[in-house]
Amino acid sequence: MANVLDLRRRIRSVKNTRQITKAMKMVSASKLRRAQDRTMRARPYAEMLSNVLESLVRRTDLYNNETGEIIHPLLVEREEKNVLLIVIAGDKGFAGGFNSNIGKAAQKFITERTGKGQNVDLEPVGKKAIGFYKKRFPAANYEKTEEHYDNDLSTHYETIRHRAQQIEVAAEHLDLLLKADFGAVAEIARDIIARYERSEIDAVYIVYNEFKSVIQQRIVVEKLLPIRKLGSHEITASEEMTDEQREAAVKAAASEGISTHASEDKEAEEEAKKFGTADVDYIFDQSPEEIFRNLMPRYVTTQIFHALLESVAAEHAARMTATDAATKNAGDLIDSLSLTMNRVRQAAITKEIIEIVSGAAAL
Amino acid sequence: MAETTNNSGQLQVRLVTPDRVLLDATADAVELPSASGYLEALYGHAPLLAELGAGEVRLHGGTSGDKKFFVAWGFVEVLPERVTILAETALPPSDIDVAAAQQELQQGQKMWSEAGDDAHKYDEANAVTREAEALIASAEGKAV
Repeated sequence: MANVLDLRRRIRSVKNTRQITKAMKMVSASKLRRAQDRTMRARPYAEMLSNVLESLVRRTDLYNNETGEIIHPLLVEREEKNVLLIVIAGDKGFAGGFNSNIGKAAQKFITERTGKGQNVDLEPVGKKAIGFYKKRFPAANYEKTEEHYDNDLSTHYETIRHRAQQIEVAAEHLDLLLKADFGAVAEIARDIIARYERSEIDAVYIVYNEFKSVIQQRIVVEKLLPIRKLGSHEITASEEMTDEQREAAVKAAASEGISTHASEDKEAEEEAKKFGTADVDYIFDQSPEEIFRNLMPRYVTTQIFHALLESVAAEHAARMTATDAATKNAGDLIDSLSLTMNRVRQAAITKEIIEIVSGAAAL
Repeated sequence: MAETTNNSGQLQVRLVTPDRVLLDATADAVELPSASGYLEALYGHAPLLAELGAGEVRLHGGTSGDKKFFVAWGFVEVLPERVTILAETALPPSDIDVAAAQQELQQGQKMWSEAGDDAHKYDEANAVTREAEALIASAEGKAV
């Protein structure tokens, strides 16, 4: 049987661990609160943008009258030969199954698509995803060509993609999650749209952790391009939380005083819904078609931005739950170790007393 | 929303960015940098939808005084008693980083000279240049 000193040391070490996990939990909780707040504040813009688009769609012909072609390249559906998957994971670990669950969902998608003979491009966001995919798959190879015309008076640039393998990493975004800056997202969206427009990819999907509230989360695979229906999320696969996970999340949230209900600003939301949809004849400063064309890329950007914000909130929630469980486990361990320690101590004392008593009796 | 409509001839102005609702105020008049030139909306303006270019949104005669915001790309809905502006970037002129804007201007000029014969690239370069110029003008208080 272990001696008292060893046990005491062990208890001290577990107590230290508990201290750390407790602190991490508190940090995650406050970060979660901020992230939730941010997601909520970002909602009016996204809502208004998709509303305007919807109402524009009703006013414009999506098809060219003469040729019957769709007027916007982002609406064109092609046979899916090359698909892009954006994987949003976290920057750090210690978040329970957060990163691995995203990885699993992504893997399922990849296996399914490659099984159909499609090429898959990956675009990981977050250190965990980048590290994982970079090790396994080669980076995409782009060649920039330059053609000179008219004695170098004009130059024509083109980007050509050389595909070597079925699965490649098209781009990676390292420091995106930390600040989740809209401008940076806009750049990424622009790049993706360019690739889509030059038919390098035929569809774009995004896998991320959707976050409505602490207890309403799921991992979804969402189709980003081509856009088939405005204002709605086209989800192709999703995985809900298990009851066990939900229970743990509720417990962790309750101890930090975080509401488990989806936060909503009713008034702002109501107003956002009305944007651009009033039942009046608008004067259009530019033609509806032109406005529509310029709005479409922005719509894609807000979709990615939104996914990013939700994923960040979900990551903090996952970390809060995980560290809450760790704190609880550490507590249990301390209890059981203390019990053993006391037993050992008692046993030693009893033994000594017996020795003394029997020694006295022998006299 | 209809209940909050005031009859004092004041416009309800909201400036919404991807991050948050930046401004919710009233004003007598709003100047808007539409993509095709500045326009001004007063109370009772006919419903209008317009795309915004780079420039300043200016509020006049509101309860909280005159206000100016630089917006880069945006979109506006004007209703008789309400103006809602969606802006990709919006910031008060005092927050503009002039050095960064100068750099952007040079970048735009560089893009222009390297655009070759790609019409798209010219458009892009022009957009960058315009935005940088508008930024600088706004920071110096000289916006048209």
